[in-house]
Amino acid sequence: MSFALSSFKKDIARWRQDLMSTLIWVAIPLLIGGLITALMSGQGAKPHGTMLLLDQDESLFSELIAGAYSAGELGELISVEKTNIEDGTARINAGEASGFLIIPKGFGDAFLNSEPVTLTLKTNPAQTILPGIITEVTEILLDAGFYLHQLFGSEIQAIKNFGEHPDDALVAAMAVTLQNKFEAVAPQLFPPIIELSIVEPPESDPGTPLAVLFLPGIIVMAVMFSANGLANDYWREREQGTLRRLVYAPGQLSGFVIGKALAAAATISFIGGLTLALGLLYHGISWVKLPSSLLWIAVSGIALFAWLSLLQMSFSSRRSANVISSMLLFPLLMAGGSFFPLAVLPGWIAVVGRAAPNGFVTDRLTAEITAVGTWVIPPSSWSIVIIAAAAGLLACALRLRSGFASA
Amino acid sequence: MLKVEELSKNYGDFVAVDRISFSAGKGVVFGLLGPNGAGKSTAINCISGLLQPTSGRAFVAGHDTVAESKAARQKLGVVPQELALYEDLSAVENLRYWGKAYGLRGDALDARVAEVLEHIGLADRAKDLPKEFSGGMKRRLNFGCGVVHKPPVILLDEPTVGVDPQSRARLFDLVEAERDAGACILYTTHYMEEAERLCDSLAIIDHGKIIAQGTVDELRAKLGARDVLQLSGSFPPDATRHAMEALSNNGNHDLEFVSQEQQSITLTLSNASQHLPAIFEAVSVAGGNVSETSLRSPNLETLFLLLTGKELRE
Ligand SMILES: Nc1ncnc2c1ncn2[C@@H]1O[C@H](COP(=O)(O)OP(=O)(O)OP(=O)(O)O)[C@@H](O)[C@H]1O
Ligand SMILES: [Mg+2]
Repeated sequence: MSFALSSFKKDIARWRQDLMSTLIWVAIPLLIGGLITALMSGQGAKPHGTMLLLDQDESLFSELIAGAYSAGELGELISVEKTNIEDGTARINAGEASGFLIIPKGFGDAFLNSEPVTLTLKTNPAQTILPGIITEVTEILLDAGFYLHQLFGSEIQAIKNFGEHPDDALVAAMAVTLQNKFEAVAPQLFPPIIELSIVEPPESDPGTPLAVLFLPGIIVMAVMFSANGLANDYWREREQGTLRRLVYAPGQLSGFVIGKALAAAATISFIGGLTLALGLLYHGISWVKLPSSLLWIAVSGIALFAWLSLLQMSFSSRRSANVISSMLLFPLLMAGGSFFPLAVLPGWIAVVGRAAPNGFVTDRLTAEITAVGTWVIPPSSWSIVIIAAAAGLLACALRLRSGFASA
Repeated sequence: MLKVEELSKNYGDFVAVDRISFSAGKGVVFGLLGPNGAGKSTAINCISGLLQPTSGRAFVAGHDTVAESKAARQKLGVVPQELALYEDLSAVENLRYWGKAYGLRGDALDARVAEVLEHIGLADRAKDLPKEFSGGMKRRLNFGCGVVHKPPVILLDEPTVGVDPQSRARLFDLVEAERDAGACILYTTHYMEEAERLCDSLAIIDHGKIIAQGTVDELRAKLGARDVLQLSGSFPPDATRHAMEALSNNGNHDLEFVSQEQQSITLTLSNASQHLPAIFEAVSVAGGNVSETSLRSPNLETLFLLLTGKELRE
């Protein structure tokens, strides 16, 4: 194993001289990241989502609630779509909508009679922003509805007597006005008796700004660029004949492979850590996220490096190894959430992206960075990455032995 | 120290090395002399473990290179034909890294690396990168990396290719120093002068086969004291051969007709210069004519020419 250490020092000493390419691996993701972040922080793109609504009550009050979601600015973010229980459940489970609100039968009467009643809101765990907004709006509405009832119960009863189907515009206008009005007084009054039960709440802090969601993908982009660039070092060593010399030496292949992987991990951690630190600083995220995120970057960096090395060593020339692995990198980065966060990617791309190795890493890094606590990546994910790294390194050693080193 | 038995290497149907056998002891430089593509590197790569021999075996310090490859490799130093250096690590870092690859550590490593640096004449350039070195200096470092662990058996594959005369002389000194220190050295080359100067015994290899083997003196004796005469021009095939054979029977007893190519013939005979007029006349009587004459005194190169009918170097 002491040869692994020598090999580690050897590669660090060699790569240090090639600082230019190292800086490029940081510069490209930072440039892309900077552009995206600037766009996002400006008037730029807003997410748009669908809220499914099942109104089993069909009273004035259920329509008030439904109307509130599409009023004013909120309407630009959310389209409300009425549905039935089967369709709604299926679609929210498939991740096709941001939220699914069920207003139970008897809601209006319970509301009027001040009886407890439960609304059900299912949110999409794969999305972060829109379910959060929907949850908040629903809570505000319920608060508003409660105080509305406390203060204007009799008037409401009167409005109800206008008929079964009041004018939509009137209802919507009323919803917005009431919402604004009661938001101001709500905190000082009593808690509502209407409870909102939130099913499948979003995994991450609903307060995460969209721009922050770009950060993990940008970090993993830097990791992928550097891992792929470093993987090409096997070709460089082959061309300068040092792999052949390695074969002459007795039984040092594994030490060589491990040493190079450790050197790659150090380089990748440096590059990923730099990107991470800049991101935390820019977005004002707490530094307590640094150790866990950095360890995740280092360990998954070894795994990505090992498999990219194996990929590169399976081509018959350095040129084709270079060209094809770079070509492969871009679709992987695209699907894996490096250009657009996984949370805003269309359904099937996000599914493929999360299954891609880099997407897997990005997904967990997103959870770690956006979660309220630290060390939230589950042990199963750590195990997968560690096993992938070990298997990849073993495969590299076998590939060297099976002829890559002797050619 | 080094023993090769019936070693063969095939690439598909092509036989690159064809059942070669030889052995060499301690303190001996054994030469493998042959033209480009003869199979010298292939033979060395089979011994070093880079290639799997198709059949046959090799032993390094008594260890089978396939069955006991680890033990064999530990005793073997290889200086490959193509440079194998870390261009971006200094000379001393290159040597230290390969020293560690063979298990050298601590003081032993420091002492040996300093010794090798002195030996290859790079002590004052130890901290410099090979990419700033001349071709000859790189060759010397390449040599140093192969012998840093003091191997008892060394394989040298054309170590002087593309090297200036001064560096070449230095490399010869290095080889001789290793030999004097007791190493067994396999030296491949297509330079006859190198083989004559360095090798205690040698094998001549062509198309993967060993076509002659012995000490330099033994091989020279095969040639006798005869010169090699090569004539270019036009030569009617059978008539020329008969004319030469007639000449041989009429007094020039040691004249031998070696080979005939399209526009040249090769003869050997002693004191060739005295017989030139008679030979020219015989050629023209046979209906041919001579446009160019080359006369060479006997050496390994002419031996190769005699054995194969072609030049060692094209
Ligand atoms: N990987 C290979 N596949 C097929 N043929 C090969 C391969 N490597 C070498 N050869 C052939 O084997 C023969 C011997 O090659 P080798 O390199 O051993 O020659 P050499 O004597 O070292 O020549 P040189 O003096 O040019 O170094 C050549 O004809 C070469 O074309
Ligand atoms: Mg060769």
